[in-house]
Amino acid sequence: MKKAPIIWVKHLVLIFFSFSMVFPFLWMVISALKTKDEIWQFPPTLWPNKPMWHHFADAWAMAPFDQYIFNSIFTASAIVLIQVINSALIAYAFTQLRFKGRNLLFSIILITYMLPVAATYVPSYVILADFNLLDTYSGLILSNAASVFGIFLFRQAFLQVPKELIEAARVDGARHWTIIWKIIFPTTKATFITFSLISFVQNYNNYLWPTLITRSESKYLITTGLRQFFIQEGAYGMQWPLIMAASAFTVLPLLILFVFVQKWIISGISDQGLKG
Amino acid sequence: MGVPAAKLKPNKQLLAIKRSKRKLSLTPLLFILPAIVPLIIFWIYPMGKSLYISFTDWDYVSPEYEFVGFSNYTDLLTDPGFYSVLVNTVVFSMGVVIPCVGGGLLLALLVSGNGKGMGIYRTLIFSPWVTPTVAVSIVWSWIYEPNVGLANWILTMLNLPALGWTSSSTWAMPAVIIVSIWKGVGWAMIFYLNALKKVPVSLYEAASLDGASKWRQFLHITIPFISPTTLFLIVITSIDALQAYDQIQVLTQGGPAGSTRTMLYFYYQTAFEQFNMGKATATAILLVVITAAFSLLQFIFSKRWVHYQ
Repeated sequence: MKKAPIIWVKHLVLIFFSFSMVFPFLWMVISALKTKDEIWQFPPTLWPNKPMWHHFADAWAMAPFDQYIFNSIFTASAIVLIQVINSALIAYAFTQLRFKGRNLLFSIILITYMLPVAATYVPSYVILADFNLLDTYSGLILSNAASVFGIFLFRQAFLQVPKELIEAARVDGARHWTIIWKIIFPTTKATFITFSLISFVQNYNNYLWPTLITRSESKYLITTGLRQFFIQEGAYGMQWPLIMAASAFTVLPLLILFVFVQKWIISGISDQGLKG
Repeated sequence: MGVPAAKLKPNKQLLAIKRSKRKLSLTPLLFILPAIVPLIIFWIYPMGKSLYISFTDWDYVSPEYEFVGFSNYTDLLTDPGFYSVLVNTVVFSMGVVIPCVGGGLLLALLVSGNGKGMGIYRTLIFSPWVTPTVAVSIVWSWIYEPNVGLANWILTMLNLPALGWTSSSTWAMPAVIIVSIWKGVGWAMIFYLNALKKVPVSLYEAASLDGASKWRQFLHITIPFISPTTLFLIVITSIDALQAYDQIQVLTQGGPAGSTRTMLYFYYQTAFEQFNMGKATATAILLVVITAAFSLLQFIFSKRWVHYQ
């Protein structure tokens, strides 16, 4: 009897917090549906008198959003594929192979994780320019080809694979490739999924660096394209409903993806390593 | 029957080790190179190169440049404008890190356990983290609209004065900080959830038997047990906060009157608007030094309050 009210208070507090976290997304959709007149009303209406569903189609037609979203999904997928392979390979070397300078190399990578990536922008920009890779898919993909976070995550996961399993396979004469594919991959599948999802989200959301190295509209990622659209529409008397509609179709694919895969992302962050 | 087999095994193992030792020279390289090559080209080499450029007066366009020694650094450190950039950076970072870590712990305590609906709360609270900062900052810039925005509507309903938010040099910084906390607190919560799960239940049981109150249990059992996570989160969220850019670019562009210009934003403007590469890279190197010093300080101080098992 004494405990019940405490639980109710807890739920009320949580409902309040959850609602505050989600409300900006709801407000985005509600604002997208308002007319130009209604959106400037004060106090604001909580639901539009007459929802303008066609604003989504209008905004979609005003800029090549399909191209932007394709660019983002395509480059993010390519980056994830490369990062998964090269992070897993180097993590295998760190955990299963013995070679000179292994600890030194790992320490160097550990330090890079601590450094602000922004410090690399100017020279990286020059490197891309020298190789004629500015404003290309290859430039976007190659400059993001390594993930220090991925190396850590995979190393942490591979350390937890039972040693006896790998020893036994090695004694049976299994090659490295077989060990990775038949033993390590099946036991650490969760890490592969989690890392792929987190890296995909991060690359889809990446803004400053892709903006610096792309110039033509046909290569813009969705983040750059949306920001461009925001500036343009802002210049002609703030078309907030259209801007909110465009923001909605940038954000919603990720939120929908998240609803289906949240188990992997949340458990991945908390369960698999990267603890202080 | 079993004896010869047992005898054979070590030999076989020895052979395997010998075999792998012979191949040792090249195989590791094959595994290391695919990650190390891009890491060197786009991380390690540029870091060194940035340090080099910071001692020159390179303007990106002309192929020639001169060594200017430490003058980029002395220029920055004697420029009062740069001090306000430093102050902004510290205010922003503290303003984001403390609520994120503290709020993350509070939320984790609330949603821990397998009670009804906890999974849903976790998902909702974490959801802002997956969305692009640029897109949600655009949404927030509408919320902060000074005349008809949601933020001021809520304030007037609470009988509070409406604020200028991103157009006021006093409130622009809090506005940017609020967006950053909103986006990051769920991330901290998830880490704490895991840390809380690992505190041995037996400790709480023993403490209850001794008559310790919930609050004392929290102070003397929970806090020390999760302190490694706290340290990790403080370091990681600080590194992130020191590099915040997207939300500042969308919401305020460093303004009004430079009130939200942080080091990274200053770096971006110096490098890619003014093409003063020497000064820009000097800023980046200072940011590296500050980040490194800060992380190091955290680790040194942590020896006093972090309890590793």
